[in-house]
Amino acid sequence: MTSDARRRLAPRAELWAAMLCAALCGRVAAQSPPRDRLSPSTHTTLDRLIDSARVAGLPTAPLVDKIAEGTLKGADDERIVRAVRTLARELGDARAALGPSTDVAVLGAAASALHAGVTEGDLRRMARAGGSPEPAALASALVTLVDLVAKRVPVAPATRSIEDLLNRRATERQFATLRADVGQDILAGRSPEQSLITRTTAQLRALDPASIDVMPRRPPSDP
Amino acid sequence: MRNDDDDRLPVPLTDAVSLLRELPPVRAEWRADVLREVTTAGRPPRRVSLSIPWAIAAGLVCAMAGGGAAFLATRDRVASPPMASSVDSRASVTMLPVRFSVAAPNAARVSIVGDFNHWNPTTLPMRRSADGRTWEVEVRLPVGRYSYAFLIDGSLTLDPAAPRGSGDDFGAPNSVLMVRGS
Repeated sequence: MTSDARRRLAPRAELWAAMLCAALCGRVAAQSPPRDRLSPSTHTTLDRLIDSARVAGLPTAPLVDKIAEGTLKGADDERIVRAVRTLARELGDARAALGPSTDVAVLGAAASALHAGVTEGDLRRMARAGGSPEPAALASALVTLVDLVAKRVPVAPATRSIEDLLNRRATERQFATLRADVGQDILAGRSPEQSLITRTTAQLRALDPASIDVMPRRPPSDP
Repeated sequence: MRNDDDDRLPVPLTDAVSLLRELPPVRAEWRADVLREVTTAGRPPRRVSLSIPWAIAAGLVCAMAGGGAAFLATRDRVASPPMASSVDSRASVTMLPVRFSVAAPNAARVSIVGDFNHWNPTTLPMRRSADGRTWEVEVRLPVGRYSYAFLIDGSLTLDPAAPRGSGDDFGAPNSVLMVRGS
């Protein structure tokens, strides 16, 4: 290449460099959580929390998403840090209960269940119920459990119902039906717990008509 | 090639000097390059200046490139993690189409925010459906679990058709979407 040719290309190279920089900046910005308004010390704290989770082998995307959620909802720095720290701990507890090879979606659902008041022992039992359910079925069961608790069904009976359904190999559709039915009952003014018992019994009867009457009832603290 | 000094030299030497002064045989383009370098040596480095319209155009191109990259990055992420009654089970591989809809007949602006778009209110605006009452958007998501909410005229709203999440860390609960494979 002659120097003249190089000179002719020089302005184009500068333009390409500028475009590349802009593109890279755009990509980085899109991947980073929108935490511009957080203080530098909060940035540092959050980065350390995420690094710690990464070192521990935990998924970090839920933590980054939590920061973005807090930022959008206008939470202050302290609240965001507290939420991220809590989530990191719950992800770690969920993995300790379910094992290191747990599916990420199940891990997220399990962490959410712990947040709702479910115990690690409950998680372990549900993960073994019905001969260890498929990850998608277990995740759906846990999501349903959290939804029931959010609708003011007490944790203990909600956990027992979900575990019983998992033991009978309930499908994702059946969990969704249970959730919708209980929701409608509550809107109609029925007691959340009574609605859960009635609806769960109906589901169990549909799944296994012969065994419903002899199904054992464990206390929630059973390991 | 002669000059005035050559007149004072003996004739045999004059011929020798002329011979020595001739340039060695080189390719013409090499010689042109050398001469060009010599004649331009010492000049200030060439500066490139753009007129205002061209500068604006270059800026717009850069901004579009950045915006495009940001869109692709967001789309990639959307394409990467969710349970929902709205999952289309006909999809085969990892990316599954998910249709969100919410009834908001009096709303002027509705979008969806969640784990799949970094809770960014600008990346997934919803469109008013033909009936004028509901707002819809379809996104392609990989298998996974996602928290999300609708943003209706600036207010976060739960999806009445989806389960609720436990995370009330910031004062407003979320809906949960599970996208699963076949």
